[in-house]
Amino acid sequence: MAQNLHEFLLRLKALFHKHRLDRDMADELAFHQAMLQKRLVEQGVPRPDIDAATRRAFGNPSRWHERLRELWQFRTLENLARDTSFSFRILRKSPGFTFVALMTLALGVGANTTVFSMIDGLLLRPLSVPDSGRLATLGIYVVDSPTYYSFSVPLFRGLEHRRESFEQVFAFGSRTFQVRGTSGTESVDGQLVSGDFFSTLQIPPLLGRTLTPIDDQKGGNPAGFGVVISESFWQRWFNRAPNVIGQKLEFDNTVFTVVGVMPKRFIGADPLARPNIFAPLAAEPVLDGAHNLTDAGIHAWWLTVMGRMQPAVTLLQANAQVAASTSAVLHGLASPEDLAHLEERRMHFLAENGSAGFTYVRTVFRKPLMAVFAMCGGILLLACLNLASLLMARGAARQPELATRLALGATRRRLMQQLLIESLLIALMGTAAGLAVAPMVSKSLTVMLLAGQGNQQVDTSLDIRVFAFAALASIVAALLVGLLPALQATSKGLNEQIKSGQHTTQAHEHRRVLPKIMMAGEVALALMLVVGAGLLASSLVRLYRSGVGFDPKGLDNISFSLDKLPLKGDAVLQFYRQLEDGLRRQPGVASVSFARMVPFSHFVWDDDLAVSTAKPVHAYFNQVGPDYFQTMRIPIFTGRDFNWSDTASTGLKVILNQAAAKGLFPNRSPLGQIIIDVNSKPVVRYEVIGVVGNAKYEDLRATAPATAYLPMTQDDGNQGPSYNAVIRTNGLPGPLANAARALAQGLEPAIPAPMLTPMERTVDESLSAERTMALLAFFFAACALSVTAVGLYGTLAYATARRTSEIGIRMALGARRPQVVAMVFYQNAGVALTGTAIGLLAALLASRALSSFLYGTSARDPWVFAGSIVALALIASAASLLPALRSARINPISAIRCD
Amino acid sequence: MGQIADTGELIQGTLEMLILKALLRGPLHGYSVAEWIQQTSQQMLKVEEGALYPALHRMELRGMLKSQWGTSDNNRRAKFYELTAEGQKRLHVESQRWARLSSAVAFVMQAS
Repeated sequence: MAQNLHEFLLRLKALFHKHRLDRDMADELAFHQAMLQKRLVEQGVPRPDIDAATRRAFGNPSRWHERLRELWQFRTLENLARDTSFSFRILRKSPGFTFVALMTLALGVGANTTVFSMIDGLLLRPLSVPDSGRLATLGIYVVDSPTYYSFSVPLFRGLEHRRESFEQVFAFGSRTFQVRGTSGTESVDGQLVSGDFFSTLQIPPLLGRTLTPIDDQKGGNPAGFGVVISESFWQRWFNRAPNVIGQKLEFDNTVFTVVGVMPKRFIGADPLARPNIFAPLAAEPVLDGAHNLTDAGIHAWWLTVMGRMQPAVTLLQANAQVAASTSAVLHGLASPEDLAHLEERRMHFLAENGSAGFTYVRTVFRKPLMAVFAMCGGILLLACLNLASLLMARGAARQPELATRLALGATRRRLMQQLLIESLLIALMGTAAGLAVAPMVSKSLTVMLLAGQGNQQVDTSLDIRVFAFAALASIVAALLVGLLPALQATSKGLNEQIKSGQHTTQAHEHRRVLPKIMMAGEVALALMLVVGAGLLASSLVRLYRSGVGFDPKGLDNISFSLDKLPLKGDAVLQFYRQLEDGLRRQPGVASVSFARMVPFSHFVWDDDLAVSTAKPVHAYFNQVGPDYFQTMRIPIFTGRDFNWSDTASTGLKVILNQAAAKGLFPNRSPLGQIIIDVNSKPVVRYEVIGVVGNAKYEDLRATAPATAYLPMTQDDGNQGPSYNAVIRTNGLPGPLANAARALAQGLEPAIPAPMLTPMERTVDESLSAERTMALLAFFFAACALSVTAVGLYGTLAYATARRTSEIGIRMALGARRPQVVAMVFYQNAGVALTGTAIGLLAALLASRALSSFLYGTSARDPWVFAGSIVALALIASAASLLPALRSARINPISAIRCD
Repeated sequence: MGQIADTGELIQGTLEMLILKALLRGPLHGYSVAEWIQQTSQQMLKVEEGALYPALHRMELRGMLKSQWGTSDNNRRAKFYELTAEGQKRLHVESQRWARLSSAVAFVMQAS
């Protein structure tokens, strides 16, 4: 070891003093020669003989130098440098090949890295808190349904109180706070957190203190409610004032005292949220007033619950323990009947690994992301197969060059080393190109995927896992791409190669099955990707065609949040009537109405309706203003629309959609009939005044549910005073958002800025997962097709180039051009057909994995399969025809002569 | 050319041992090393220059020798080689090995 180090240091010194080393060697030899000559002179040898004798003793001085110098060099390293620069030159010599190779690999590695960094950011990345591996997320198991991750306040308090295998248990719920500032009210993202939230996550505050269990009590700590703010909010709102601790902050009509500022790196336990305000959970009843979620008890499920496990406890033990304590926690919270019902459904708590925090979005996007990742894997494999076959074909064409180098004394190892370095260079440069674009692409893809999920931030920056993944991908790619061609290219007997040039290769042609298998595999993979893309795209088209029941085009929603304003009853209606008047006068506006719920906006209000004592029908509710159906372009089949004179005093009215009418009144006209709200006490009765067309409510993939529309003019105020304006515009609308803001603030100065969302965007965003998947699949399929085309073209072109003289002879002997074209063309046709057959089988087997993403489309849709095969056949034919046509233009005489 | 008497090639390990031995009495330049071996072996061993210098350089790289540029008797710049502690240790091991080997060979050859 010490010896090696000594040697290494001396060599390193020699590396930097090359000239001195050379001079020293020359001096040493010259000295030796001088001494030798001196002795010969002393022995009386005649002068001319002396020179000859010295020369005889020493031989060629430059060989001498070479031998000594070699001793002092890093041989492997310098060979490596030489091979690298040689490989660079080889690659530069064929820029077309290099470009295609780089692009293919950049695509493969780039796509994988992109999707992997999304998976990393969304699913894998641990929370940046100390010892995140000890965190667990609690969920609820109910038989036959996906795990439920929302808790109600009493359930959480029960768990928090028992603790057991956890050091601490905490809960948080995300929400928007209406913060009052000097220039109006602003909506700020924040979270309601329980007392142990900060102590569990263990990140110290930048200033002041964090919230503790003392803050999380009814009425707050003895000095009132405390609040912790984020560093960015501190900067924006308080301009980084150091005396922020102790200052007042008013939101949701409640005054809080700032007790601490959290550093930027702290984002809580939801990796996608960026909360700016952390308020104690116990403040919720005060913030939300009469209809708060805390007092709703076990009827409001909105909290995420996590815990930090005791040091000696494993996740399995924690899981078993929370499951065992389920009934104890539930005891006293639910009625005996409810408990029996829950028991029947085997409900129990569970604990999962919580090191990456919890976000609801994860449960939605895990499967689509994995499907896309699988497609990416296919693309990478395809890229590698393609490059390997191209390199193989090129290797065959480079046979004479390699043979010459072997003949000049290169060992097979050196040749392989150099060929592998060539593919490694391609792999490295391809990976670098892929990595360069990955962050940008994954960022925009994430934005697209999470559109409609509110204000979510996914950190898709390149971290150590993404780099490790990319490195692994590129190394695997380099080996896949380089090893086979290098083995193949150097395997042939040297002599027969150099003796007879290209003629002998014909004899080996039938042995070259490997490239054919690889190209067939490529075609099969491409077909699978194209089929997948076809299925996803046709499903998406069907989703859009299925219709929503209203016309989203030219429809805008403007949401007004009046929850924190002291408006009640008639004043609310007055506000909206004035707003309607104002909006209707805007340029381009055709009609205006209001609705409590905007379709596909994740807000749901459901209840059971019945005709007297008949079996109740489960229905969705909405509260709408007059002209709602006309504005939405939902047809009114019978009866009438609501109008402003349907007030509380005229008796409660309801309009049903067709589905609800059919469910409640299977064989009679519903007009004028009375229906009751089954769960209301005292019983609430509605008179049916109309039936309208079905419109989808919360899920575009499902059929339109039974829906009951209540007039906003008969609003009992239970749902608060916030409505959405629904505006139908014709042609180009003016600056509606600004107009709405000015109008609203003219009426109520404290109102937060309203938000405008085009209905088409809401529809698009509700399909974001499908859209993203279909778009990616389409992109991958297009890439797969073009890569395969390049592969088929490239391999055939190389193969044909090597048959030039053979074709020349055939033509000289009378073969006609069409025959030559057919001969070359069929070479690829066999490969393409085999690949298609394999791909078809594989696609039939694999497409079932997609079936859960498909809407109204069979996983074996014959049209999609047929279309994919036709697309592939066209591309393959085009790619094969080009070299075939070119071969027919060969001039027989020059082809034979040139060899 | 410079064969080693008629005993054939000097194997590498042996040449290194002889060089170490030559340097045991003090620093020498390459020419003197060759001369010393030749004279001491009574012209039986003739060290070829083509083997001597690579051996010297290799031994220097491995840390058995160290070198220094100095002035020779006839006032020329010459490279002097010198034993290191590592080299002395090596000489000791090698000469023991050589003694064992040569006596073993002698026994075998004297057997009747």
